[in-house]
Amino acid sequence: MRQWIEKQRYIIDFTISSLLRRKVKNFGLLALYTLIVFMLASTMFFTYSIKKEASLILKDTPEIIVQKIVAGRHDLFPVSYIDTLKKIRGVAAVESRLWGYYYDGLVSANYTLLVPPANGDTSGKSRPSAKTTVVVSESGGQQADKSKPLFELGGAVLEPGTLITGNGIARLRDIGKDDYMPFRAFDGSVLNLRIAGALSSQSELVSSDLLLITAEDFRKLFGIDNRYVTDVTVAVNNPSEVEMVASKIRKALPEARPISRVEILRTYDSIFNWRGGMMIVIFSAAVLAFVIFAWDKASGLSAGERREIGILKAVGWETSDVIQMKFWEGAVVSLTAFFTGVILAYVHVFFTGSIVFEPALKGWSSLYPNFELTPFVNLEQLTTLFFLTVVPYTVATIVPIWRAATIDPDSAMRFTGE
Amino acid sequence: MIELMNVKKVFNAGNPSEFPALNSVNLTIEENRVTVLKGPSGSGKTTLLSIVACMSRPSAGRVKLKGREITSLPERFLTDIRRKTFGFIFQQPNLIKGISVLDNVMLPAYPLGEQRLHLKVKAMKGLAELNIANKAASKVEWLSGGEAQRASIVRALINDPHIIIADEPTAHLDTKLSYRFMEIIEKFKAEGKTVIITSHDPLVFESSMVDRVVNLRDGRIEDKPA
Repeated sequence: MRQWIEKQRYIIDFTISSLLRRKVKNFGLLALYTLIVFMLASTMFFTYSIKKEASLILKDTPEIIVQKIVAGRHDLFPVSYIDTLKKIRGVAAVESRLWGYYYDGLVSANYTLLVPPANGDTSGKSRPSAKTTVVVSESGGQQADKSKPLFELGGAVLEPGTLITGNGIARLRDIGKDDYMPFRAFDGSVLNLRIAGALSSQSELVSSDLLLITAEDFRKLFGIDNRYVTDVTVAVNNPSEVEMVASKIRKALPEARPISRVEILRTYDSIFNWRGGMMIVIFSAAVLAFVIFAWDKASGLSAGERREIGILKAVGWETSDVIQMKFWEGAVVSLTAFFTGVILAYVHVFFTGSIVFEPALKGWSSLYPNFELTPFVNLEQLTTLFFLTVVPYTVATIVPIWRAATIDPDSAMRFTGE
Repeated sequence: MIELMNVKKVFNAGNPSEFPALNSVNLTIEENRVTVLKGPSGSGKTTLLSIVACMSRPSAGRVKLKGREITSLPERFLTDIRRKTFGFIFQQPNLIKGISVLDNVMLPAYPLGEQRLHLKVKAMKGLAELNIANKAASKVEWLSGGEAQRASIVRALINDPHIIIADEPTAHLDTKLSYRFMEIIEKFKAEGKTVIITSHDPLVFESSMVDRVVNLRDGRIEDKPA
């Protein structure tokens, strides 16, 4: 046993000295490998966290959203339909919503205008909404998130003639509380609204481009009659009946399109999950780079390395000793690259706000949200990354070594020069 | 004692480039003797030496070491025999660059898992005997040709082998260093080791300490020297 331990020590010592002997090559290799792992891990952390964040927010969205469709496009929803919806068995509540987009040519940005739910009734009366309306919470016991508001109004009172802006808009327009923001209404008239406050920066992922406005001003701005709303939300008594209620809605209102929360979550999933969308594109590119890199390594055993293997075998090393040494060499490089890459990616995504990927992945054209992602690390994804990088690299290292190590040691005797 | 019975070695068998390196070689090499395998380039000296030293297998025939048939042994056992029985001195020193002389010398002992301190003492003693102890910590690329050759001799002796194999050891040495090398061989003989050398250098095969010269030509042993 002692002999065996001593032997392993010798082999590991020799491996480390081997790595240090080819410093430039190995550091270059390590740097490239770390970069690939960094790219993959950053994408993974980023998309997973953003997906998680989005799903936490969506968790509290209505079970069903009902829109009216005309010629396959979203149209204004008649208020008279609400009574039909209320009569459907299983429907607990129906609430109307007013929201839309406004293009600001001055800064080339698109804003999302939303009437907070308490204001969204069709009576036209706007009640000030002084406090958070949606609270994000997670079942997994994330204490920090339980108290994290989606729309924090910070005591600002929303009344006709005022609005509350998202942080992105405030930054972009360089405006703040009590400043006025002009809007061009549907009929060409100018609507000047006073800023009553700004949204909490914590919720910037969804609120960067958001403007909260009263129903009265919303209708004035877009010329929407009191008989219409943008869409409606439907709450269902029994969550397991969502699909059933959705099909009843389709039957009662053939021109309506019910969208369930599950469908929205699935869309997010297909965009951000590692099996789909953004992830698959970046992942494929990085994996391809990795395969080329590993193949190059696999096919490229230098003459010096072959000679060294020949010498080791000639002086009495077994094939298994040589393979073991090269296995450790591959393992040291790949594990160092893996852990360095993952740690750097963690710092990059959760501490520097993904400076490398920010413009490409966050998706706001002019309005970049300035938020910090909550660190979510998925063990399954890390394991996947491990098996996609460390294992193939180590195997790619072993194969040519095995081929070289099984040659007769007498080749060392035939070396006549360096 | 090493016995070779009807040994043949063919390279690239079955290919158009097939080349028979050894043809029905029968040879007995006695213990505690210095044997020189002599012959021109391409005569099969190195091939014969590599078969004797368990570095490669014959295409046909048998090899016996101390009466034990070793031709059909699996690679692991052959390696073990090679490690414990043979010490190799190559035409080129074949030292591994980038590591110290001491590390190079200790390399053949690594798979045996010998205690480090003990191994180091043994290696230093060997280096001292060949007057290169002061180079122990130097990297091998800083050594002169003679020093590198001596380092490779110390490496060949680290596992205290009974048989020393030397392939064209003086090919890259000047006359003075070649004589120095033969003095070392004499010392091995005095210690009771078996030495097998391939060479076409008269300084080697005409040396008084050589007990037997085996002439090879075209892969066969010549009864009478040409």
